[in-house]
Amino acid sequence: MSKPIIELKNFSYRYTHDSPIVLKNITFTINEGDFVGIIGCNKAGKSTLCKSIVGILPFVAGGEWDGEVIVDGKSLNETKGEGVTDVIGIVFQDAESQFTQSTVEDEIAFAMCNFGYDRELMRERVRFAATECDIYDLLGRSPYDLSGGQQQRLAVACILALQPRVVILDESTSQLDPLGRDNIFKLVSKLHEMGKTVIMVDHNIEKIADSADKVLVLHDGEVVMFDEKHKVFSNKQLLNEHFVRLPQVADAAIDLSKSFKGKGDIPITLEEAEKYFGALKRGA
Amino acid sequence: MAREVIRTENLVHVYPNGNVRALRGVNMTIYEGEIVSIIGQNGSGKTTIVRHFNGLLRPTEGKVYLFGEDTANKTVAQMSQRCGYVFQNPNHQIFCTTVREELEIAAKYFNFTEEETRKNCDEVIEMMNLKDIIDAHPMTLDYTTKKVLTIASVLVFKPEVLILDEPTGGLDEVGRRMLTNVLKMMHDNGHTVIIISHDMDYVAENSTRVIMMAQGQVQDDATPREIFKDQEKLKFSQIDPPQITNLDFYLTDRKEDSILSVSEFVRKYEK
Ligand SMILES: Nc1ncnc2c1ncn2[C@@H]1O[C@H](COP(=O)(O)OP(=O)(O)OP(=O)(O)O)[C@@H](O)[C@H]1O
Ligand SMILES: [Mg+2]
Repeated sequence: MSKPIIELKNFSYRYTHDSPIVLKNITFTINEGDFVGIIGCNKAGKSTLCKSIVGILPFVAGGEWDGEVIVDGKSLNETKGEGVTDVIGIVFQDAESQFTQSTVEDEIAFAMCNFGYDRELMRERVRFAATECDIYDLLGRSPYDLSGGQQQRLAVACILALQPRVVILDESTSQLDPLGRDNIFKLVSKLHEMGKTVIMVDHNIEKIADSADKVLVLHDGEVVMFDEKHKVFSNKQLLNEHFVRLPQVADAAIDLSKSFKGKGDIPITLEEAEKYFGALKRGA
Repeated sequence: MAREVIRTENLVHVYPNGNVRALRGVNMTIYEGEIVSIIGQNGSGKTTIVRHFNGLLRPTEGKVYLFGEDTANKTVAQMSQRCGYVFQNPNHQIFCTTVREELEIAAKYFNFTEEETRKNCDEVIEMMNLKDIIDAHPMTLDYTTKKVLTIASVLVFKPEVLILDEPTGGLDEVGRRMLTNVLKMMHDNGHTVIIISHDMDYVAENSTRVIMMAQGQVQDDATPREIFKDQEKLKFSQIDPPQITNLDFYLTDRKEDSILSVSEFVRKYEK
């Protein structure tokens, strides 16, 4: 039985005293080894939630909160967020605005500096992360002179080099080309198979449906659903009410359900859809 | 035949930093009223080329024509008033201290009358749903709202060509619908839109023409239906078509016209 790695208990948050409440009394548990996709429309509070999980909100950037976040058994209210980075690596949505080094190589190494690795291990990790994120050719370039997608790859590489137990990616594929995006999803799936916990905020519903096991739907600061992905994506009405769309194949299956009943449950991945719609295949 | 709005002739761009040859002789013509999507891998030169259309970058070699005129002696102001460019990264575009100021600044810069400025702003505020944040400091906004604001601040001066660099990145369904309304409005006014995007669902459903770039050159240039037709070629170019297009590939003979949206799929397989 896997143990909880991230727990939120009646957690609420707002940025300032006179601003609206952004997270409202949120309670959920993520177990070690889970792959959770977080979806929901803009302003649902996804980025705020990610930053709260790592304690940046409120312990570094301020704000008012209530309730607690527990990471790896320790309440952040007690640790004030200290030590979270030993457990969780996070790629922020605007990660490119946080680069500080003059070369891509140093930028990746910089993330590891606080961890006291020896030189050789660091070099190896840089090489590994840069290769996995397909920016090896760019190691000598300045982070500021990269294209948007190249910067996003770098941001992911910085976290990958750390190999933390939990990886949080906040829309880290939004500027990637399709291959680069697939690559990141493959990469985190690999981490997931290695037993790491993955949390991904992404608008690419199809990719989330492919890779995650659980999906959390956030709307207006509240958790609408948090369940196994098929359960979440079978609830078209509830999702649409919260401006979340379904994977295209699920949408198609539901829209066609009057005239066509396929094999098994509503499909949410291409693979499932090929089985479900199998009877319609030319020559079948 | 529609009027030509942008034409490049053997456009080459080399960034001095790192001596990067980002464009290697691009010939591209864009016509009035088109909604052109530029797709292609990270680093293939998409941002680099469109930044030549408003003068932010200048050719290392070759020429750029705007409405038939050589742009070599045109200023960024002259070019960007007709060719409004929305940055890939909103943090690079925003510099005012309130949303309203951000919206008005360009119109003022381009010498719009106060009345015109107010009227245009009001329209855009309504369309982009910015009323509630009009007095906010732009830097306190979340990433997506910043993105919407940057689009709005360009729409205010009513450019004839709207260039959107990765507008869909991070946009939810509501944002995408809003964006689609912007495209429709431009199109209905006979204006031209250029969108750079990695979001193939969006590209498939919303463009009249797709230009695919690879390594600083144009690799393909066709309608979305043609671009997403040939599975082999898509694989080769590392383009992932919409999921529904892939499902249709699986179910049908490849020679048929490709399906570009869920509604097309449903229509095809109904009854
Ligand atoms: N200021 C700069 N200095 C040096 N090289 C640059 C600069 N800006 C971009 N480049 C390089 O030029 C090439 C083309 O970059 P460009 O930004 O045009 O790509 P893009 O197609 O827009 O990519 P993306 O999809 O990642 O946004 C890349 O190799 C990039 O690293
Ligand atoms: Mg770009």
